[in-house]
Amino acid sequence: MSHRIRKIIRKNFWYFLFVLLIVVVIGFPLFWMASSSCKPAVELFKMPPQLIPEQPTLLWYTQAFSDSIVVRYFLNSFIVSATTMLTNVLIATLGAYSLARFSYRGRRFIMAAVLSAYCIPPIMLMIPLYRIIAGIGLNSSYAGVVLGHLTLTLPFCVWILIPFFRKVPKEMEEAAVIDGASAFNVFWCIVLPVCVPGVLSAGIMVFILSWNEYLLSSVLVMSDTMKTLTVGLANYISSTEIDWGTIMALGTATTVPIVIMFSAIQKYFVEGLTAGAVKG
Amino acid sequence: MDHMQRTRQKPRYHAQRQTLGIIFIIPIVLFLLIFIVYPVLYNIILSFTDAKLLSRQFSWVGFKNYQKIFTNMRFPTYVKNTIVWTVASVAGQLLLGLSIALMINRKGSGTGLRSFLLIPYVVPAVAIALVTKWIMNGDYGIISWWFQNLGMMAHRQSPLAIPGSAMATLVIVNVWRSYPFPMLIYWAALKSIDKELYEAASVDGAGAIQSFFAITLPHLKDTTIVLIVLRIVWTATYFDLPWLITGGGPAGSTTHLPIMIYQASFGTFQTGYASGLSVLLGLSLFLCVVFYVRKTIASDTHK
Repeated sequence: MSHRIRKIIRKNFWYFLFVLLIVVVIGFPLFWMASSSCKPAVELFKMPPQLIPEQPTLLWYTQAFSDSIVVRYFLNSFIVSATTMLTNVLIATLGAYSLARFSYRGRRFIMAAVLSAYCIPPIMLMIPLYRIIAGIGLNSSYAGVVLGHLTLTLPFCVWILIPFFRKVPKEMEEAAVIDGASAFNVFWCIVLPVCVPGVLSAGIMVFILSWNEYLLSSVLVMSDTMKTLTVGLANYISSTEIDWGTIMALGTATTVPIVIMFSAIQKYFVEGLTAGAVKG
Repeated sequence: MDHMQRTRQKPRYHAQRQTLGIIFIIPIVLFLLIFIVYPVLYNIILSFTDAKLLSRQFSWVGFKNYQKIFTNMRFPTYVKNTIVWTVASVAGQLLLGLSIALMINRKGSGTGLRSFLLIPYVVPAVAIALVTKWIMNGDYGIISWWFQNLGMMAHRQSPLAIPGSAMATLVIVNVWRSYPFPMLIYWAALKSIDKELYEAASVDGAGAIQSFFAITLPHLKDTTIVLIVLRIVWTATYFDLPWLITGGGPAGSTTHLPIMIYQASFGTFQTGYASGLSVLLGLSLFLCVVFYVRKTIASDTHK
């Protein structure tokens, strides 16, 4: 008996050690970014580095946000991500419902096309999109960046929404039909309300993808005032005088809202992804 | 089938429903045609021209761009870098993802832990790149300082300044960023394994390690194959992290095909040549995409 208990403890000891190790390794870079952003310059460049700031300061944050271009980057990113999100929610919701609940010729082909589009990475679309968007005069505009982001997010959003629509019981739709509801009303009044959590979480996931996107945003925008946050931030690092405190503050400020948003929806995201992405 | 019968009683509804389904899918189809299909074809066309970044005119040059690619002395090195980067990253993220999935699949492991471990999935690549450059900074970086103190690196040297360790750093950071996806997929697959199998195995006297190899691993085979294929496509074409951390250096030791494409099109403005490169990259991944799509769509209809 005591042998067994010892064995369990020993087994769990290694388990807890592993958990601790993973948590430290995964959390460290983020912890270090936040910690560095609160260190005064003296501590930032002290060797050996201190884990926790001795005299925490918000100086880097106030300094960063007093620069009007930084505020502009945040605003640009917000406008682009919100527009991408709304467009996605509108188009992808309709498309996903159609693919999940209707049968017509070519439906399976369109599903395969959406999934293939989901596999096409931005580096393959960068050159033609640059020319197309410049060709229609949308370079350095919000619309241009949003179009670029849609190529990445729309297939993803459709794909992740299909399982949510599939889960709506067919009986609910039938009952409404018997009560004389039109096909559109069945969608609008019966199906959609049930799927609000799914649609909302897919929308927020799209917002996050758009907020984080770097390559297309950097290529499609030339003028400094139209740059999104990721592109603006990346430029800090290529300048000769690297201001680490400000960079860590901005990195933290870029990451924190995203992590909070993700935490709010991750339950639905996990549900959608594990149902839609890969089935073994 | 009940559904069919009842709606047949309402032919008007049925016709209306058909139309609605088609109307709802039209925006997606149009978008895919204009912004995915057309660009992909346009890319292929550009690869046979002498197009430059800033001019709209171009003329046909046949296979000249491809000839230039294959006679480029550095092309084999960059292909090798792409393969090293992809194989190491995919292997790393699948192994870490599986280990953590096994860890959170245990009874008593809370959802709080799972949520925490999902965070790297949404951290902006730019932020990770900036932190990496900071902790690897030769003068003030904490990791560089550790390596320097252990005597593994010279004073004021950064791991990012040495070819081999620069690539290793990129792979480690990429594994850190991308393990949550395999972790989630593996976790879902683990949950779907019948618990009775394990009970039966333990009755038969199998230990934890034996049942892992006899039950868990075989059950994860399909998932693993699909994950490998999907992650190869995304990793081999992933630009942001390597570009933002090393920019392809030192001395081209971390330049992979996506960075080569970017430099050709936006560094030296040779759009035609860059398109040729991206066509080649696309072709080499084409089979992976076909396999993934077929497999996923096929498993979808069994539901």
